[in-house]
Amino acid sequence: MRFGMLLLFLGMAAVTFLPRFLPMALVSRITIPDRAKAFLEYVPVAVLSALVFPAIFAVDGGGVGIEMRPLLTAIVVGLFAWKVKNLFGSVVLGMVVYWALGLTAL
Amino acid sequence: MGRDIREGVKAALPIVLGYLPVGIAYGVLARAAGLSTMETGAMSFIVFAGASQFIAVGMLASGIATLPIILTTLAVNSRHLLMSSAIAPHFKGQPLKNLIPLTAQLTDESFALAMADTAKVSGRPHYLIALQATAWLSWVSGSLIGALFGSLIDSASFGIPFAMTALFICLLVIQIKSRAHLAVALIAGALALSFKGALPNNLYIVAATIIAPLVGLWLIQKRAHVEVPVEVEVED
Repeated sequence: MRFGMLLLFLGMAAVTFLPRFLPMALVSRITIPDRAKAFLEYVPVAVLSALVFPAIFAVDGGGVGIEMRPLLTAIVVGLFAWKVKNLFGSVVLGMVVYWALGLTAL
Repeated sequence: MGRDIREGVKAALPIVLGYLPVGIAYGVLARAAGLSTMETGAMSFIVFAGASQFIAVGMLASGIATLPIILTTLAVNSRHLLMSSAIAPHFKGQPLKNLIPLTAQLTDESFALAMADTAKVSGRPHYLIALQATAWLSWVSGSLIGALFGSLIDSASFGIPFAMTALFICLLVIQIKSRAHLAVALIAGALALSFKGALPNNLYIVAATIIAPLVGLWLIQKRAHVEVPVEVEVED
């Protein structure tokens, strides 16, 4: 392994570790105010939504738009997840539906 | 502790299913960008941050220097500040020997999985450490498989590109527990779509993750400020 690469990886690891570590290290020693707790209560859905929507409404070349294949798959997975609440099943179903829709040239 | 570890490993399986193919895709790209198999695996082993690894490999391929890559990685991973804060109350008072593995391997996926059922996670560091270590192993394995056998696998086939999105959709649906959650989710999604073109390095995720919960709090405050005694900062 090249020495420069090792340095790069260690630098990337450091700036990846700090944002993950510092809040938990600090918060586990202080008491969080109620309004901060209420804010943090909504962070998970906000993060997930900010990851999911751009993935569903993505078009070739990295832009935002409507493509039937990811949109239809997302609707099927969303309904399944809502009714069955099974993570593993959702992932497998999503892969199968996305693959099948690819065969129909949507 | 043994039971926590076993359950954690088992709970990681949906993530493993997503990480293996994405890790393979990363391995293929890293080799194409001129990294050796050893370097490809070492980056996954040492850094363990999917999005920034893809970006770093792309930057390496275009000959960009070390420091800009590290700064970009910091920008991409700044979103974990919020996730780490949100999960922190469940591990209050944990010793450093637990906090380090808990946070070093915190990813979007493990965070989302943990927050989907906090009763399983609260005060059980070994459960989450085992879950995250399993995810990490699958990421490193996928990277090495991609680096070694990438030319034999087409990572765009068999619905592989949708695996991670399906996982996120399910986690999102599970966590919509009220109308306010639904509103925050829709607002965050709309913000992410509108900011995506304008904010580089995944910073649109950070922007959506800060603004949408604030709007959610403001909505709750408006509806019933008697039941929910929280003050809201609208804008800073």
